[in-house]
Amino acid sequence: MTHCILSARHLSKVVSIEEGNLCILDDISFQLEAGDSLAIVGTSGSGKSTLLGLLAGLDLPSQGSVALAGYDLGQLNEDQRARVRAEQVGFVFQSFQLLESLTALENVMLPLELEQRSSQPRQQATALLERVGLGKRLHHYPRQLSGGEQQRVALARAFACQPKILFADEPTGNLDRATGQHISDLLFELNDEQGTTLVLVTHEERLAQRCQKQLRLEGGRQVSEHGVA
Amino acid sequence: MQSIIRTSLHRLMLGLRQLWRERRSSEIHILFLAIVIAVATSTSIGYLSARLKASMQGQAAEFMGADLRLSGAQAATPQQIEASLNLGLQHAHVVEFSSVVSTEQYLQLSSIKAADAAYPLRGQIISQTAADPAPQSGGYPQPGEVWAEQRLLDALNVHLGDLIEIGRISLKVTRILTQEPDQAADIYSLMPHVLMHLDDLPATDVVQPGSRVRYRDLWAGSPPALEKYQEYLEAHLEPGQRVQGVKESSGQRVGTALQRAEHYLNLASLITLLLSGIAVALAATRFANRRLDACALLRCLGQTSSQSLSLYAVQLGALGLGAGVIGAILGWAFQYFVFYLVRNLVQVELPPTGLGPALLGLSTGFTMLIGFALPPLAALGQVPPARILRQDSLPMPISRWLAQGSALIALLILMWQLRLDTQLIFVVLGGACIIAVVVGAALLWGLKALKNALQQAPLHWRLGLGQLIRHSLSTVGQVLAFGLILLSMALIILLRAELISNWREQLPEQAPNQFAINIQPDEQQAFSQRIDQVTGQTPSLYPVIRGRLTQINGSSAEQRARPDSQGERAIRRELNVTWSQELPLGNQLLSGTWWPSTPNKELSRVSLDAELAESLGIKLQDRLTFDFGSEQREVQVSSLRSVNWDSLQPNFYVIFEPGSLEGLATTYMTSFYLSAQANTALVQLARDFPSVTLIQVDALLAQLQSILAQVSLAVESLLVFVLAAGVILLLAGLLATLDERMRQGAILRALGAQRQLLQRARLTEFAFLGAASGFIAFLGCELITAILYHKLLGMDWQPHPWLLCLPLLGALIISAAGLLGTNRVLRASPLELLREH
Repeated sequence: MTHCILSARHLSKVVSIEEGNLCILDDISFQLEAGDSLAIVGTSGSGKSTLLGLLAGLDLPSQGSVALAGYDLGQLNEDQRARVRAEQVGFVFQSFQLLESLTALENVMLPLELEQRSSQPRQQATALLERVGLGKRLHHYPRQLSGGEQQRVALARAFACQPKILFADEPTGNLDRATGQHISDLLFELNDEQGTTLVLVTHEERLAQRCQKQLRLEGGRQVSEHGVA
Repeated sequence: MQSIIRTSLHRLMLGLRQLWRERRSSEIHILFLAIVIAVATSTSIGYLSARLKASMQGQAAEFMGADLRLSGAQAATPQQIEASLNLGLQHAHVVEFSSVVSTEQYLQLSSIKAADAAYPLRGQIISQTAADPAPQSGGYPQPGEVWAEQRLLDALNVHLGDLIEIGRISLKVTRILTQEPDQAADIYSLMPHVLMHLDDLPATDVVQPGSRVRYRDLWAGSPPALEKYQEYLEAHLEPGQRVQGVKESSGQRVGTALQRAEHYLNLASLITLLLSGIAVALAATRFANRRLDACALLRCLGQTSSQSLSLYAVQLGALGLGAGVIGAILGWAFQYFVFYLVRNLVQVELPPTGLGPALLGLSTGFTMLIGFALPPLAALGQVPPARILRQDSLPMPISRWLAQGSALIALLILMWQLRLDTQLIFVVLGGACIIAVVVGAALLWGLKALKNALQQAPLHWRLGLGQLIRHSLSTVGQVLAFGLILLSMALIILLRAELISNWREQLPEQAPNQFAINIQPDEQQAFSQRIDQVTGQTPSLYPVIRGRLTQINGSSAEQRARPDSQGERAIRRELNVTWSQELPLGNQLLSGTWWPSTPNKELSRVSLDAELAESLGIKLQDRLTFDFGSEQREVQVSSLRSVNWDSLQPNFYVIFEPGSLEGLATTYMTSFYLSAQANTALVQLARDFPSVTLIQVDALLAQLQSILAQVSLAVESLLVFVLAAGVILLLAGLLATLDERMRQGAILRALGAQRQLLQRARLTEFAFLGAASGFIAFLGCELITAILYHKLLGMDWQPHPWLLCLPLLGALIISAAGLLGTNRVLRASPLELLREH
């Protein structure tokens, strides 16, 4: 039996600028069920990343509501939203967002240590890094790794806490085509292995095609959707 | 409860682990170093001043024979003594009086000191015997015995073992008195000294009600008990009693020098703390800025703002503790090393000072960390998690009140901890603020004007200065920051040099160490010639007449004097007065005229020490009556002088107009320097001029020189810390803007800019920053020293043209440090730099 893990209702985001108000997102609504994969596509500046931020509870909408894993994020304060993220959510970013001063292993161990999720964070992180093919680069710092390798570390970190839903913001945006292909393969493999729901922001049609559902944005508006209820 | 403890412990361990993992970051190094310097500085200053103070007080106590003295026309009351014993203090009782000491054939008026066996509580009596002329320390005359100066034995023609009479009893002279504590203060005393046991005093029957007797009660003990007791005594003084601690006592001897040194130490502490505080603030800001993304990531990973904040607080706390402990150890080791280096210069035993200064240093480090690092850390707690997606999402700016308030509170706490002088703080901070505002505004205007002028300039000028002009506010901030660093360093160097040269002038190496008194008028020429032969210098002989000030404007002088004032002490005894055509060396005319050219036919004129005049309420043109035993003279005050009592020259409260004391019994006195090798010449001098009394003040001189050496040492060594703090701040300041410079350099190189062009552009930029900072330092230094000299240090201020080299120096220092710091722009590949920044 499936159930709704993420839903957005009439989401809008308006920001104030010098010239007046700027509408970044306008009336976005959809639902996603557990285990689904959704690609949010659109050109640069279409509001993809802003939408991802609202869905993950990193920011609040000007209007509308987001329900994530049964929680109405608009009703929660920032600390409560952080708790939801800690328990339910994983992230992968375009610019990897690894901590420069930590080794690959330490970066992957970080979420496990923060939440005391694992009694053996080192072993678990090592296993994940081996899984993404970096078993021999455990003690390398991010600057000693290529872009593709850094994104693999980020993937290992994202899956370390076995999140229910994974948000990926242009995960291959900073990588060449072959490396990007390798990373997206890995992302979908891990997603399948752990049964994670995936919300992916991308401007690459090929990557978007690998998701079960797609939501297209243009100028902050939802122009078409495929498979989204 | 258990789960709270477990969670807290977990977060603590997590914070520590993160800190250990991030140990290679440059901002952590700078923050660590800034705290190490701050703690090492305050620890070292704490130890230096505590040990120097203790050593100076120890010396002063030896010269007073005690830590605390109560003197007056009546002895301490039983209640006063009981209160001291309750506090666990040691007590000694001394009675001083003048009396005739006699044998069957001879009489000699002498100064007699009767003391109980506890005397002296500090220092030792030095005495010798005829058989063993080597002076020995310690001991005390037993009942029935006296120890007397050689000149008394000569005057009475007695030898050791003979009996002398004091009042109604005979006492046996058992040792020759060479030196006794607190004798040095009494170098003008003409009478030979005798020391006897207090138990013998009643039998002499010399001390009767109404006799001129001076009582001294002495105490020694632990500093807290003494402090408490001094407070008690001051609140329970009987009329005519005067209490004196070692501080007041040492202050009398080297008064102004010590006071200035204290101001200097205060200033150096303040500046070092300010410099390291700003370095901590800069490093903490960089620490926070570089963790904005990491903090946003933590928020994405589900950490609440307080959880991520606590993680960084643990890191900063652990960093502060580690750096603090290392700083405290370094500070302790440094002062130890300094004292080891000058062990021959400072010959007194330096007392250990315990853990106090180290703990104070540590707390200084933490106060600084909390006060200066709290605002950037608080900003970290405000990072929105959405920053992870959009880099332009900045933390909510924290309240300016919080940022500046916490730094101000930290500064106030530090000043309170170090007991800094508030007047000094206002002068330095006020001066710096005025300069910052005025010059900052001028600089902003100048940068705007430069913009137009720059359009025709070569590319490297446009690149280097263009960067500064585009961010003009940030440029002004940097120039002011570097300017304040240079200002502080220049101020400390300048004051150090002037203070030390001022002290050296005051107490030259060959300062007089011998006083000769009682030179008869007919011996005057021969004595002067002999001194010239022995020392190679003709001494100035001052006439001395003993007289008492009895009336001021026709009314009794005694009624004018407040009890226990300087004036009261001066009129209660006979004064040594003199006449002189010239204003003596070390005296400064404050008001009136030095012997007006129009003669006053009616009255002769005198010049008075200004402090004495103030104490007795005497003004210019007042009429004074002096009693010279056989006759009285009325004179008019024509000038007031300041007298440098620290100089080892004959000094006089009252100087008469030449010719006004004719017909009165006059002797002469002088002071001169005789090297230790010329001892035989001294013996010969004493033999050839038997009536002249020679008084050696080597011990007093040695004390003065030792104190000045120690103070100079403290001043010199503090300079090291101020400079270290300045350099660290300079590095922290450069590091704070390094990222932007590295990025810009990398982009230019990627666009094909030659290394030479980049180097020239950076040189132009840094040289401008340095020169502008140097100019601010020059202005600030002159403004602050002008106020400081005038208001606090009591020194004459003159412009310091050499300070104009500060802009050049600033340009050199900042350019060198800047080029060194950004050297990687030229060496590393542009790609590598762009990826990093």
